[in-house]
Amino acid sequence: MRTRVTTSSAALIAALAGLSLLTLTYGQIALPLADTLGALTGTQSSDLARQIVLEIRLPRVVAAIIAGGALGMAGVLMQALFRNPVADAWSLGLLAGGQFGVALTVTAAAFAGPAAVSFLTVFEGPSITLAAAAGVAVAAVFMLALGRRVGAITLLVIGLMLGFTSQGLTSVLLHFAARAGGRVYGGWQDASFAAIAPASLPWLLAPIVIGAAAAVATAKPLSSLLLGETYARSLGVKVTSLRHAVLAATVLLVAPVVAFCGPVSFIGLIAPHFARALAGTARILPLLPLAALGGALLAVAGDAIVHAPWEQHFLHLNNILAILGAPVVILILIFSPAVRQWR
Amino acid sequence: MLDLKSLAVGYRSAGGPLLSDIEVSAVAGDFICILGRNGSGKSTLMRTIAGLQPSLDGVARLGGEDVASMRPATRARRIAVMLTERAFNPGLRVEDVVALARQPFTGWEGRLGDGDRAAIADAVAVMGIEPFRRRYFNSLSDGERQRVMVARALAQTPRLMILDEITAFLDLPSRVEIMALLRSQAKEKGQVILLSSHDLDLSLQLADSVWLLDGAGGFSVGAPDALSRSGAVGRAFDTDGIRFSPSQGRFEVSTSGPA
Repeated sequence: MRTRVTTSSAALIAALAGLSLLTLTYGQIALPLADTLGALTGTQSSDLARQIVLEIRLPRVVAAIIAGGALGMAGVLMQALFRNPVADAWSLGLLAGGQFGVALTVTAAAFAGPAAVSFLTVFEGPSITLAAAAGVAVAAVFMLALGRRVGAITLLVIGLMLGFTSQGLTSVLLHFAARAGGRVYGGWQDASFAAIAPASLPWLLAPIVIGAAAAVATAKPLSSLLLGETYARSLGVKVTSLRHAVLAATVLLVAPVVAFCGPVSFIGLIAPHFARALAGTARILPLLPLAALGGALLAVAGDAIVHAPWEQHFLHLNNILAILGAPVVILILIFSPAVRQWR
Repeated sequence: MLDLKSLAVGYRSAGGPLLSDIEVSAVAGDFICILGRNGSGKSTLMRTIAGLQPSLDGVARLGGEDVASMRPATRARRIAVMLTERAFNPGLRVEDVVALARQPFTGWEGRLGDGDRAAIADAVAVMGIEPFRRRYFNSLSDGERQRVMVARALAQTPRLMILDEITAFLDLPSRVEIMALLRSQAKEKGQVILLSSHDLDLSLQLADSVWLLDGAGGFSVGAPDALSRSGAVGRAFDTDGIRFSPSQGRFEVSTSGPA
């Protein structure tokens, strides 16, 4: 199994590197591969190529890799914690909850006055991330409490409905807030990896690194939760503190993605399924790197399609992810034995 | 090795204990069957002894240590449980399920050492589940699942095994086989095995000792023969339609009762 994880990881890394390079090369302006590599390594290259690659395309690709990886890992955690094969931060409404948290904060600032708005604008990275984290955490705690009462599919439907509700509330809130407030945050409608400023990349990365470390640390006890709560307790796991730790890890992984990239759909739901198929096991630890790499690959692929040199305006990321992801979810719902047993 | 001292079990909210003042001891190698009708408190008693729910009064000691105040990690090395709660999960293979039993013994990564692998191999061989070791746990039949879960409990190499109605989904030959096998495991490894069952005949034949719950809070302990001769079994199970015959050692459909 170790070899399966290693070879799968190597293959995913190679695919990710290849696809990233392709995304850096192609776009509205196609660059020769040599120029792209030259710009990346800092050797001979035109100023224009360097500007396009390093300042426009690279931050986007890096954001896609970080966010996709975070969503993939969070998906593994959520599916194990909820014991639900269709759980993920997007499908259970955590991302929408995060957006609503941001909307509340922005609206509050808009009503508090220009000083508050400019404070938000100056400390955009941390303040938006914190607001998103609060929203994600509230949604997660609510769904976890609900998850103990209803079946997997019911929870999925409720999660999606909760998502619609928060999105509706968010747009109503922003209608009443000053326009200036709304502009602080770009990710209201669609997800995008292009909106992040290069200077904000560390704000995206730092919480995710801590969240990933927490995910790895909880991997072993979380594996025993796969057999159910009582078996986990009989194996010496303190289930309540485990739940809190996994929730904290999920919030750390997901909140920065909401804050900087918006509600990225489907990646966290399907990456864990690819990881399980590749690893041949449901144990958590081997799934984490595979789901991270798979999520990153999906994110870069979606971004590559969005930013391909189309004639007209850009496509929307979530629409592309829906085309890639929704059929997979339909197949899971029809064929997954776990889902059938929940019915 | 296992000592229950004036133990009372039940749920605090549900108005009084289900069972109280239980005084009983078991020594290493004891294969004990817990018998009683549905709702007589078998599962509650077993969960309390396993440290999965607090006792209302008294203590359960394993090797002199109070189970309730043991550190969870220590308890997990000494007590294995198998419950009626159905374990299932997508993508979990049979070998994963059995390997999870070694979690109390491994480091943070959960990586298995030689001793862990030996314990797993032993449990897999004893329960004869090698042929479906690589299959998904979800794809097994009920009987196969029961075998895997028993193997999981064995692989935990506990001092005390607590098995709640584990033979429910098995046919008669498999029930006999598994109960006989557990009995010999207890002798061989010096474990105490507590097993609840609705298989009265089989339990009365195989158990070293029987704990009998009469459903009205009464708790009697004894060798199978003594309990059936004294009429205690009959008092716990007899209804209008069925009656335990101490002389025959089995149930008879009552001719005088309603059809």
